[in-house]
Amino acid sequence: MSTSSNNDILLAISTPPFWHCGRTIRKNSLHTLIALTPAVIMSLLQWGMPAARVMALAVLAAMATEAVCQTLMKQKLSQDNGTAAITGLLLAFLLPASAPWWLVVIGAACAMGIGRMAFGGYGANQVNATLVGWAMIFVSFPFLMDPTASQLQTTLADPLLKLKYFGAEAVADISVIDLLLGNQLGGLGSSQVGALLLGGIYLVLRGVVRWEIALSFLGGTFLAATCLHFVDGSLYAGPFFHMGTGSTVLAAFFLATEDSCSPHRRLPMLLYGLTGGILVVLIRAFGSYTDGAPFAVMLINLLAPMFALIRSHPFGTGPRKAGSADWRTRA
Amino acid sequence: MNQFIQELTKGLWKELPPFRLLLGLCPVLAVTKSASNGIGMGMAVLFVLTLSNMLISLVRNIIPSKVRIACFITISATLVVAVELLMQAYAYPLYLQLGIFVPLIVVNCIILGRAEAFAAKNPVHLAIADGLGMGLGFTMSLTFLGSIREILGAGTWFGYPVMWDGFQPFTIMVEAPGAFLCLGLTLAAMNYGTRRQLMKRNREGSEASASPCGGCRACSIGKSQD
Repeated sequence: MSTSSNNDILLAISTPPFWHCGRTIRKNSLHTLIALTPAVIMSLLQWGMPAARVMALAVLAAMATEAVCQTLMKQKLSQDNGTAAITGLLLAFLLPASAPWWLVVIGAACAMGIGRMAFGGYGANQVNATLVGWAMIFVSFPFLMDPTASQLQTTLADPLLKLKYFGAEAVADISVIDLLLGNQLGGLGSSQVGALLLGGIYLVLRGVVRWEIALSFLGGTFLAATCLHFVDGSLYAGPFFHMGTGSTVLAAFFLATEDSCSPHRRLPMLLYGLTGGILVVLIRAFGSYTDGAPFAVMLINLLAPMFALIRSHPFGTGPRKAGSADWRTRA
Repeated sequence: MNQFIQELTKGLWKELPPFRLLLGLCPVLAVTKSASNGIGMGMAVLFVLTLSNMLISLVRNIIPSKVRIACFITISATLVVAVELLMQAYAYPLYLQLGIFVPLIVVNCIILGRAEAFAAKNPVHLAIADGLGMGLGFTMSLTFLGSIREILGAGTWFGYPVMWDGFQPFTIMVEAPGAFLCLGLTLAAMNYGTRRQLMKRNREGSEASASPCGGCRACSIGKSQD
């Protein structure tokens, strides 16, 4: 241990005794996959075989990319823990069912290659890997990523697009039940709001996902949307519309909660989710993109280290005073 | 003569400005949307760098050391204005493409860095060699980055289509994030190559592992923990 004398390296460790609860990455992944199953089934019912094609391709491409990268990086192959499959599946959920095969493959390869493996592998990425892949293809091929432009054989409409171009009155008659049942145009899985909500609650009950993040994310959306709705109801849609459209629910339960990209104390988690939820509405209302949820999640992922700085002081040291030296020197 | 060649070639690989020294990143990231932009910007910098190195080296004994930075900037600003006017006269489309980044050459880290670190301390012929080498390295790097970004992001190279029919351009590459992606991946590849080389050299038994990152202990810390 040549580095033990190096006082510059601050390691945040808690004191023993430790306790192993038997949880593994693979078990967590299995629970996540179970939670995603209702949304998969709903999207198959809604979009049919094209959706199955996109999902299978994305999962396969993500796992293959991970395997290739791990071989190149001389790491142990870890496709069996299921994290790559989840990344691929979540990416597919954000794509329209009509996405061409090469778009799916490029997206999954970017997600795994640049989003995760370039940082060193599972748990090392700063920004949700799925969203990195999604953002790269979304910025590059906006036309193919837009379900309204590419999904021609459907009578459904994208509610967020309607809101963007026709105002809140055009979407006032869309019922929440319709949104929950997935009767809306959007990403093939992210539009199955009810099923995702079901899966999300399962994950929260299982303890795989922290309720603080998911709840405060939805709460932030609700809060911001309500405020804007009261300011001008004809311009800004109501809170339940914002929570039920786009990928808000997917982001709240499955994207914002990725372990390596979110803070891990209660107050930071609450603030993290709240910021994300508010950003969703702000981007939708004032940004140039229709759906702000993925961008909001990427932004709060980058802010997560800042939120993580909100921490209690160690036992025996006073609260940090403004202008005083670092607490470690006074301990 | 040997030293002349040494100073000339160090900028081409060993101290390649954007990729090894990470200097002058502002134009590297901003103007490399296409290969021709990269080469244009590189040539402008090459011109300014060589001449400013030469001039500064010529007057290095006259400049009082307290105001040397101001003098360096005056000299490089003069040259940049000359380049800008020449570019407006003879390469107007390129001038429009590069925009604000031509005047910004004045405050480019490479110009000042080479002036301060090299030209102000060395005789004229070496300063010229240094400026030429660094400028050529800079041009090479910019053209390389510009080529990658243009080929992937627009499907063309120097304006000529090079990809297959029906190729969908990967537009993010010509946008701002693409510049960071390309730069990061290029740096990673170069570091990987250098490390492979070093490991190979170490394996061959030469004890003197000529580490390019001299004083930094980061690598040895990582090793001792394993």
